[in-house]
Amino acid sequence: MNQSLLFLIPLLPLVCAVLIMLFGMRLPRLVTETLAVSGVVAAFLLTILFWGYADGEGTRASLGTWLAAVGVEIPFALYFDALAATMTLMVTGVATLIHLYAVGYMHEEADYARFFGLLNLFVFAMLAIVLADNLLVLFLGWEGVGLCSYGLIGFWYQKAENANAGTKAFLVTRVGDVFLAAALLWLFALTGTLTISTINAQASTISPEVVIALTLLLLLGACGKSAQLPLMTWLADAMAGPTPVSALIHAATMVTAGVYLLCRLFPLISLSSVGMLAITAVGALTALYAATCALAQREIKRVLAYSTMSQVGFMFMAVGAGSVAGAMFHLITHAFFKALLFMAAGCVIHLAGNENDLFRMGGLAKRGPRDVFWAFLAGAVCLAGLPLTGGFFSKDGILLALFSHADPVYQLFWGIGALTALLTAVYTFRLVYLVFAGEPREHSHSHELPGLMRWPLWPLALLGLGGGLINLPPLFGGHEWLSHRLGALAGREIVAAHGTEWLLAGLATVLAALGWLVARWRYGRFAPPRDNRVSRFLLRGWGADAAVDLLVVRPFTAMARFCFIGCDRALVDATLDGLARQTTACGERLRAVTTGRVSTYLAAFVWGFLIILGGFLLALVR
Amino acid sequence: MIVPFAHILLFAAALFVMGLGCVLARRNLIMILIGVEIMLNAAAVALVGGSAYWRQVDGQVFVVFLMAMTSAEVAISLAMVVYLRRRKGTLVADDFDGMRG
Repeated sequence: MNQSLLFLIPLLPLVCAVLIMLFGMRLPRLVTETLAVSGVVAAFLLTILFWGYADGEGTRASLGTWLAAVGVEIPFALYFDALAATMTLMVTGVATLIHLYAVGYMHEEADYARFFGLLNLFVFAMLAIVLADNLLVLFLGWEGVGLCSYGLIGFWYQKAENANAGTKAFLVTRVGDVFLAAALLWLFALTGTLTISTINAQASTISPEVVIALTLLLLLGACGKSAQLPLMTWLADAMAGPTPVSALIHAATMVTAGVYLLCRLFPLISLSSVGMLAITAVGALTALYAATCALAQREIKRVLAYSTMSQVGFMFMAVGAGSVAGAMFHLITHAFFKALLFMAAGCVIHLAGNENDLFRMGGLAKRGPRDVFWAFLAGAVCLAGLPLTGGFFSKDGILLALFSHADPVYQLFWGIGALTALLTAVYTFRLVYLVFAGEPREHSHSHELPGLMRWPLWPLALLGLGGGLINLPPLFGGHEWLSHRLGALAGREIVAAHGTEWLLAGLATVLAALGWLVARWRYGRFAPPRDNRVSRFLLRGWGADAAVDLLVVRPFTAMARFCFIGCDRALVDATLDGLARQTTACGERLRAVTTGRVSTYLAAFVWGFLIILGGFLLALVR
Repeated sequence: MIVPFAHILLFAAALFVMGLGCVLARRNLIMILIGVEIMLNAAAVALVGGSAYWRQVDGQVFVVFLMAMTSAEVAISLAMVVYLRRRKGTLVADDFDGMRG
């Protein structure tokens, strides 16, 4: 088989996206939906078909030159190695299920062509990030996912708040992108190439200070996309988009792009211990911050959004602790169970009659279909990290990597991670109890659930619960398949005594159980929410939006106002307007001369004649 | 020549100035036309004088042309006077200020 066939993986969703965007509304609805799903399914099947290409060093494929100048040549090139293949399989697999779910979810939506077109375009852009051989192709995908995210968050743009949420997401992630672009240009200036493997190979020739700066720039770029501190404010608002979008873009794939970027450039960033420490710190702080925010949220999707932030923070911690395999492991299991949770939450909102507020739900276990409850519970136990679920193993791996790190500072981050794990269990079971336990608190008209919204939950539930098998540690009789598959890309080898591993696993179990008990004690029987200062503080996300408003938005608005009113209007416009007004006034004064009376003209004529005559006479006299 | 050439020219100039004064001072359209006629005739007097002085026939030929042109001019302008009078009901020149800026 030809290696260029690898290009079919990203290009098929792109072709489907273009077809849907051009002809989607003219084709029968079924055809458009089939087209949308088939593009992603085809990419998924092709990934399985080409799986062997990822063996060993992986496979490179080039489709031609993108940019060519003196000394620069950047091709459209893909690199299909173990890391990219694993990620591609996850992205296409989850995207397939979410596309199927979206067909059910959007069955009453009139503007379905725009939705599916953007969704397929997103899959293309995401695959461009994952498969990119050079950083420019990666950047193309990076901006592409941002664009699709913007279009899909504001999908119901008739409501101003949705459109604003889209704009906010776009602008905040753009801040990160600026840093990423700076890092790319700097890397290009240093190495003369943008090919990822060449940069990684040449990383050791770059001076250590520059590596630190580059790592911090890359970290900020990753923070924007992955909603980490301090660029995290957009993710909670991004829940304004349709639920399949939240599941695909803002839980499973796009927000993990930052983690993937750091994993891709791991040989570079691992050279600077300061950079690694910064990555871990950002991850740890975000994990804790988002977990506390999730404790107090009232909207079901916002809880999940904050938990996504928190879990991505765990992945950052894993990268910072040097365990790429751990990060990828958690990335994959998280994609499964978080997509599952979002899709189940979509079902819940549907069943509760488009009610988003947790405090007005309740009793759905009795009222709704049992399968939604079980699916949601499956996702919840994975998120809470109950033993033997996928989330348990992946989170435990990260905590172990932190705990066993040589640098004692990482013990502190391990402590934060453990605390976050406890909080995660608390807010997860709070969610479960508030939604499903007890009696319905409001009797609202529940919608019929289409079958397509129900059965994609099951594969994801199985994948989430059994996700631990991907990288089962030897302690539990596994072979760490993912770590072996990643080989040299897996990062630092984690060495820990069996006793430590048992201790940490036991502690994780205790924390999850403790979280469950706390949630059961507090929310097992519904009590009206107490409205105190702490809960308000957490509900508003520690006032992050207000801080951004105060520190960035208002000074910026003031500056824009000064430029517009102070400079543009008062200076430029006023000068030009004044000139124009003076000219007009002169014209007005001259207007009085043209009376329209013949006699005036004749008199002027005669006077003129006399003046000319006088001139001639004077000339004659001289 | 019985009459000195200078007298003829002075007479023609006086006639021209009077016509010009009439054109400038009067507001009635017909009076303005009469002023124009007087100015034209002043020119004709000067031409005839010149013709007699230099004993050349050109000046007299010009005067014949001038008469023909004047009659045509009078015919057209009187027609316009009639038209304007019908249109505005007045012959005061200052009332026709449609070109005012």
